[in-house]
Amino acid sequence: MMRRFLLLVGSILLLVSLLIAAWQETRKVRPVALTPALTGKVEYCLSCHADLAEISKSHPVKTFGCVVCHGGEPLALDATLAHSTMRGGKNPSDFTVVQTSCGGADCHSGSPDSSRNHIQRATTSIQDTYAGAIALIRYTYGAQPSLTALFGIVAVEDNMNTSGITSLKAFTSTNESNPQLKLFGENCLVCHLSAQPVQTGGRYDHFTGCSACHTPTQSTNLVSVDTSKATQVHTLTTTISYTQCDTCHNRGNYDLRSMVFQPRTDQPLDRLHDYYQPISQFTKCEYTLDCIDCHTRSEAMGDGSLYGSKFDIQYVRCKTCHGTTTDLPQTLTLEEPNDLAFRLALLNPVVVLKPGDTILVTEKGEPLWNTRLLVDGTYQMVGKATRQVFTFKPVIGSGCQQDPSDQSSAACHKCHSVQR
Amino acid sequence: MRPNFFHHLHPPTIPERQARFRYTLAAGGLALFLMLVLGITGILEMFFYIPTPEQAGSSIQTLTFLVPFGGLVRNLHFWSAQFLVIVTVIHLLRVVLTGAYTPPRRLNYLLGLGLLVLVILLDFTGYVLRWDEGIHWALVTGTNLVRSIPWIGNSFYNILVGGTQPGPATLIRFYGWHVYGLAILAAILLIWHIFRVRRDGGIALPLPAERSDTRRITRFELVRREVFTMLLAGTGLLLLSTFVPAPLAAPISADSTISGTAHAPWFFLWVQEMLKLGNPFLWGVLTQLVLLVLIGLVPYLFPYPISSELGRWFPRGNRLVQILILAIIVLILILTALSLLPLSQ
Amino acid sequence: MSASKFTRRDFLKLARTGILTVSGLLGLGGLIRFLGYQSQPPALTEFNLGLASDYSPGSQTLLQQVPAMLIRSEKGFTAISLVCTHLGCTVETKPDGFTCPCHGSRFDPQGKVMRGPASKPLAPLRMEITPDGKLKLYTE
Repeated sequence: MMRRFLLLVGSILLLVSLLIAAWQETRKVRPVALTPALTGKVEYCLSCHADLAEISKSHPVKTFGCVVCHGGEPLALDATLAHSTMRGGKNPSDFTVVQTSCGGADCHSGSPDSSRNHIQRATTSIQDTYAGAIALIRYTYGAQPSLTALFGIVAVEDNMNTSGITSLKAFTSTNESNPQLKLFGENCLVCHLSAQPVQTGGRYDHFTGCSACHTPTQSTNLVSVDTSKATQVHTLTTTISYTQCDTCHNRGNYDLRSMVFQPRTDQPLDRLHDYYQPISQFTKCEYTLDCIDCHTRSEAMGDGSLYGSKFDIQYVRCKTCHGTTTDLPQTLTLEEPNDLAFRLALLNPVVVLKPGDTILVTEKGEPLWNTRLLVDGTYQMVGKATRQVFTFKPVIGSGCQQDPSDQSSAACHKCHSVQR
Repeated sequence: MRPNFFHHLHPPTIPERQARFRYTLAAGGLALFLMLVLGITGILEMFFYIPTPEQAGSSIQTLTFLVPFGGLVRNLHFWSAQFLVIVTVIHLLRVVLTGAYTPPRRLNYLLGLGLLVLVILLDFTGYVLRWDEGIHWALVTGTNLVRSIPWIGNSFYNILVGGTQPGPATLIRFYGWHVYGLAILAAILLIWHIFRVRRDGGIALPLPAERSDTRRITRFELVRREVFTMLLAGTGLLLLSTFVPAPLAAPISADSTISGTAHAPWFFLWVQEMLKLGNPFLWGVLTQLVLLVLIGLVPYLFPYPISSELGRWFPRGNRLVQILILAIIVLILILTALSLLPLSQ
Repeated sequence: MSASKFTRRDFLKLARTGILTVSGLLGLGGLIRFLGYQSQPPALTEFNLGLASDYSPGSQTLLQQVPAMLIRSEKGFTAISLVCTHLGCTVETKPDGFTCPCHGSRFDPQGKVMRGPASKPLAPLRMEITPDGKLKLYTE
């Protein structure tokens, strides 16, 4: 009898364990399938991440899915396993993995049109290689005989070979014998597109790679976003506010002798005081506009060639929009429906461009697509990030006292600089 | 009551002392039960597993995360397999420490040893079928160990791997071994082993004339005890499988790198530790073979208990063997523990 | 001997059997759900056939991937499924209609059964032309 009672107990235990197994099954994450049009392979990331906002209008999740950019295990519903093969952690645009994540002839590299090879341009740009600063410091401390750039932040090759520099070696402070250069590497070479920012959780926080500029971690209200919470910054944009540029720029100054970076100590409360650091001189448009309103695509992202100095690529001047006392600024009347200007205006629709519109162009022919020549001969610019509308007159016919041969910004600042 | 098929598989009665849990620990029976669970869950897994390097990992992920109760089936298979290795070793220990290998049981002892080897090989081949980063280096080192055997090593490696390095051919061969080759061998040995148990007079006890306790239990009572044990074991397996998942890592890919240390499967950690000493063949193959042969020769080389001493733990007659086998187990446990310490230097 | 009394032993036996049966049924239910999972995506039911103007009037186009026969007459487009209505083999196109290689069913050029074992005619398939002139075929 004892034995039979035990069998009943055993049966009950088995039944209970089966019920527990069935109940646990209902508690599992409900799979949410997505088959992106681009890959045709089903992925289940949305089972947990359905509340994530679309990253941009150009990368809808229905077309791209998640895995084609981020990597990861598309079928896994366990977080550790699913995320184990993600590229670049939270940031697939980090330059160590960007080619796999963002590359491809249909995407951002490998196109026969070199201006569309954004990865090749950005990774050879002087913003990433820092070649000029490195060459200057090494020359100053006698480690190289001339200012010709030899080193960059990472080793990089130039297949376009139009600038004379075909490759750069990676600068490593341990390979430098001069202690000043070692300090330079440790203290100063921390602001580049491949470096993690030194401070975290503040106004200098940004991602690496493409996201350093294109993922806004700083809003325009002097409020920054906690980048440790990646879901809050799942955004790719071309509307880049000055605050994003200022995660590297305008943070302070180097002391060349002590090789120490001295961060700015002011506590700005408005745009006028926040934009540039206290020692700067700037005009009204330089602080009411955002950096990208003047600095062009090839200035910020390079043109695909390696350069040894920022002055080889930075060329926009006040005269680009305002002209000189002798010349009007260059313009272009848009006719070609495939003109780059239309594409750029589509990506960031602050203006409506139509064939027949006349816009300003730079000396290299880059379209300033957010500008327009008005019928009365004045010009209009719409801020790419602020959407503010500005109208301005050319220098010709004004009371400007400039020396036409000196078109540096310092010359204009002599009269037009703003008091903070 | 009229005996059914399962009742008839058992003798009409057996001595009560043969059926005591304190004597046998139910180890042999549990091993059989676990093998049944493995067979059933294994077939269910075969409905979804795809044995190619490109699809192995994703088919396992599909089974684990997307198929209803797929994760449960996989976990049951995994935990049954690991407990089978443990229970088989406990069964071996029980047989040795109760001197239950004396004639006429010496052949059966060797059959059991063969089953132990097959169980370990089944666990290893099943482990490899994951084809994920966790097994990657175990596969490479394991197959290279085979290659290290003098004279026959290379041929043996070719048969095992199907090429010059682990690849698609290896996976499909390991699948064939795991699902059929080793399983059919284990099934044959198992049937023979259980037949021999009955033919040799059941679980080892003194001869009938030497027994003090003459109580017997019927086949019905025996089956009831077996069913009860299976219900308990099944409950435990289900609960464990519900809450503790089987391991799974990212699939093996061309750009995979080891981070930190690569661990052998837990039942080979002791071998991994020994391999730190140097020569692969000596420390990874020869030592293990010598150990196996030594354990196999126990009934033939060493003194064993007389018949009246059987039926209880630690009889006096095979003290030397008891010490030997315990020393071996302790050594293996120590080596296993050492291997889990972080790599020095 | 007393008349059949339901003893405690009988109750326990019944309870035990009942619980084991319920466990078995639960297990069976789980097994059916397990085996019922479909890992392959279901077959396509919508086909893009390109521009309607690509098919000239009076033409017959064999669409292998559907499988179907696309016929354009003066009146418009028709499509006949080439899936034999008996057991599903793809029928072969012959001068006088369609013949199934599996069990010999014969159909006339419009899909009507001329000789069995098939009993239902070849199914006509729905089509539509999109506003920009593209032809779409539906098998459901």
